[in-house]
Amino acid sequence: MRNAVRLVDVLDRMEAGPIIEEEDFDMRLVPETMAELQAKYDISIPPDAPFVPDDDALADRLFEAGLEMAEAIGVLCTDTGRRMLWTRSEILDAIGIAPDHLTVGAFPDAHTEYKRLPEDTRRITIKGGPVGTPSPEHLYVAIQQSYAQEPLVDLMIDGSLETVYGREGRSHSPWEVLLSWHEMEMVLTAVQRAGRPGLGIGCTENSVSEIGELTVTAADRLGPHHWHHVAMISEFKTNYALMTKVAHIHKTGSILHSFYNTIYGGTAGGREGMAIAIVGGCILMQMAYMTTTHSVSPTHPFYGNTTSPDILRAIAPAQQALSRNTHLLNDVVITPVGGPGTKTLLYEVAAQSLLAVSSGAAALIGPRSAAGTEPGHVSGLEARFMAEVAHAAAGMSRAEANRLVAEMVARYKADLDQRPVGKRFDEVYDVVRVQPTEEWLGIYEEVKSELRELGLNLDSAAAHDCVGRSTTV
Amino acid sequence: MAEITEQLRAELSEALRQGDADKAEALTRQALDGGADPLEVIQGIIVPALTEVGQLFQEFKIFLPELMLAGEAAKRATAILEEAIAASGQASASLGTVVIGTVENDVHDIGKNIVSTLLSSHGFKVVDLGRDVAPSAFLDAALKEQADIVAMSSLMTTTRPSQRSTINLFKEVGEREKFKIIVGGGSVNQQWADEIGADGYAADAAAAVELCKSLIQVS
Ligand code: B12
Repeated sequence: MRNAVRLVDVLDRMEAGPIIEEEDFDMRLVPETMAELQAKYDISIPPDAPFVPDDDALADRLFEAGLEMAEAIGVLCTDTGRRMLWTRSEILDAIGIAPDHLTVGAFPDAHTEYKRLPEDTRRITIKGGPVGTPSPEHLYVAIQQSYAQEPLVDLMIDGSLETVYGREGRSHSPWEVLLSWHEMEMVLTAVQRAGRPGLGIGCTENSVSEIGELTVTAADRLGPHHWHHVAMISEFKTNYALMTKVAHIHKTGSILHSFYNTIYGGTAGGREGMAIAIVGGCILMQMAYMTTTHSVSPTHPFYGNTTSPDILRAIAPAQQALSRNTHLLNDVVITPVGGPGTKTLLYEVAAQSLLAVSSGAAALIGPRSAAGTEPGHVSGLEARFMAEVAHAAAGMSRAEANRLVAEMVARYKADLDQRPVGKRFDEVYDVVRVQPTEEWLGIYEEVKSELRELGLNLDSAAAHDCVGRSTTV
Repeated sequence: MAEITEQLRAELSEALRQGDADKAEALTRQALDGGADPLEVIQGIIVPALTEVGQLFQEFKIFLPELMLAGEAAKRATAILEEAIAASGQASASLGTVVIGTVENDVHDIGKNIVSTLLSSHGFKVVDLGRDVAPSAFLDAALKEQADIVAMSSLMTTTRPSQRSTINLFKEVGEREKFKIIVGGGSVNQQWADEIGADGYAADAAAAVELCKSLIQVS
């Protein structure tokens, strides 16, 4: 990838940048820069702001704020204690050569993700899957198959495993090697069973340290056409283990997806700080990791979700800032509090899909149901629902999306602090036939009816992709 | 002991709320010079001011850096007061010492930071070992600091086994009974805490403070 030619230069900066104490970085540099830029660029997102603003000037100011943030803060490597820094023109050069589309997966299931604009009529890419949520080993293949067999899922992202060969897994040990191999083997089985052998897989979620990634990336069965994750530690930090993954993924010619979960109320601050951090964070992941796709999952510190009203109000303008001013491929992760079998989950997923699609995200990732922490509380049906709502919203105006998001938020807001984790996979799916139960299907149909009543056209030919195609096989 | 003037009370509370450690330190010395009872400064000024700050954080009226700076200011003021208390031969005002950290191989430290700050703002002495903390490091710190409580955070199913290993290490070296050991973080629940033989679990930072208070009372 042409943006990866900077690899050695990045590693040099990691060894030679200015030294800073981590505490100083966290407690002073980050919050002070955020506050300064918020004032300088007049970024204000009041508590009653629209969920999906229609304010291009705000989006563009946010972009400038995020760009300046990236330049001012850089990325701290906690192993060398140094900041990697780039000038504004270096940043603009680098994001200029980053890819604006990307093909993932292999024939006959390869899929191309494209950059989108706010209100774009192009269909968004759907990366369905439990996004790291741990699952019981005996259910793992069926769970992954439940996503892979959804035709609207363009690419898949794995869950992690609760155990390996019935043993407790352990990061940074031989167990991590076994966990990562197990994940790879079972996911490849799942896509084969679903009839989609070339489906692009986001793997390996079990690689907590660098060990898992090193052992399976480009292993004979996991070719470079799959996609690989590297986290940036919130806020704006990395370390040798993560940079080891970066170097390895680039040297094997694999696809690097980076992610960053800014925390609401954390060192970046509230709604405005989070919005600036999303923009600046994506730019910094491009700078430090030379990544092909980026995602952010701004997280609530008490509920672990992304669907709280204040968080939605930060995601939408930040996404608009990025898609109006760059061609970076930015994905939005949906992490609801609700789990399978609850209406809450579906309302949350609808709200965030509508918001992301109309704000110009390139892809939707998830849903990471039940905040991603309840073992096995995930199922493919919610990814189908996410895709259906998203495609029905292609080309939708931000004002219309805002109206629908507000309707959805009103329906789930009271449940956010209730941990409605719903049911485990084997209680909402027949695990042998890998099909949702009548009960779970009924709930899904009910919420779709509610959305139709609110005016979302889930039944148009366009929503079903009968007219025109954005992807071909 | 002399009464603390209303003005000093207000100024110190404000310095703590603003996280101005230098000012809080200076005002604390001023109070002591004026003959104030150090215990009264802790109980009557620091704890209420920090409880208020903690509440503001829970309501997102302030954010983590402000919370942590206030915690830092309170720590500095409390250290001076503790010295005075020790010099006068009184019993320590601290509710107890908590050694806290995120377990080995886990970089998720935000929840741990919040718990750590809330505990110190409620009057505990907190020794924060950071993230990626090995079982032996928990043990060494617990012994060195003569901790009352050892608190471990873990966010992943693949790192939480380290909580079990840590507890087992304390047992194997015959030190388990000296400490209360508590666990928390996204991958942990009460059932897990029971299974590994921890003394307690709490789902959020406010509950963690209550848990530590109750454990100190029974011990
Ligand atoms: C933020 C986040 C990150 C950030 C962490 C930044 C940081 N500085 O901490 C980043 C982006 C770096 C990250 C990386 C990864 N993450 Co992560 N992450 C999260 C996320 C979204 C939120 C965690 C969080 O900070 N919540 C907010 C805080 C405030 O909540 P909390 O920690 O739970 O703390 C509260 C309570 O639990 C309690 N508490 C906390 N500690 C303690 C301690 C005691 C003693 C007590 C009593 C109470 C207590 O009080 C706190 C305040 O109320 C969770 C999902 C989720 N919804 O939880 C995934 C999650 C934990 N991550 C996960 C994974 C898989 C990873 C990666 C391995 C992904 C990858 N493939 O690279 C890497 C791991 C890197 C590593 N080496 O550790 C999985 C774990 C799955 C599993 N198997 O268990 C989760 C569950 C998400 C998922 N479904 O994929 N992640």
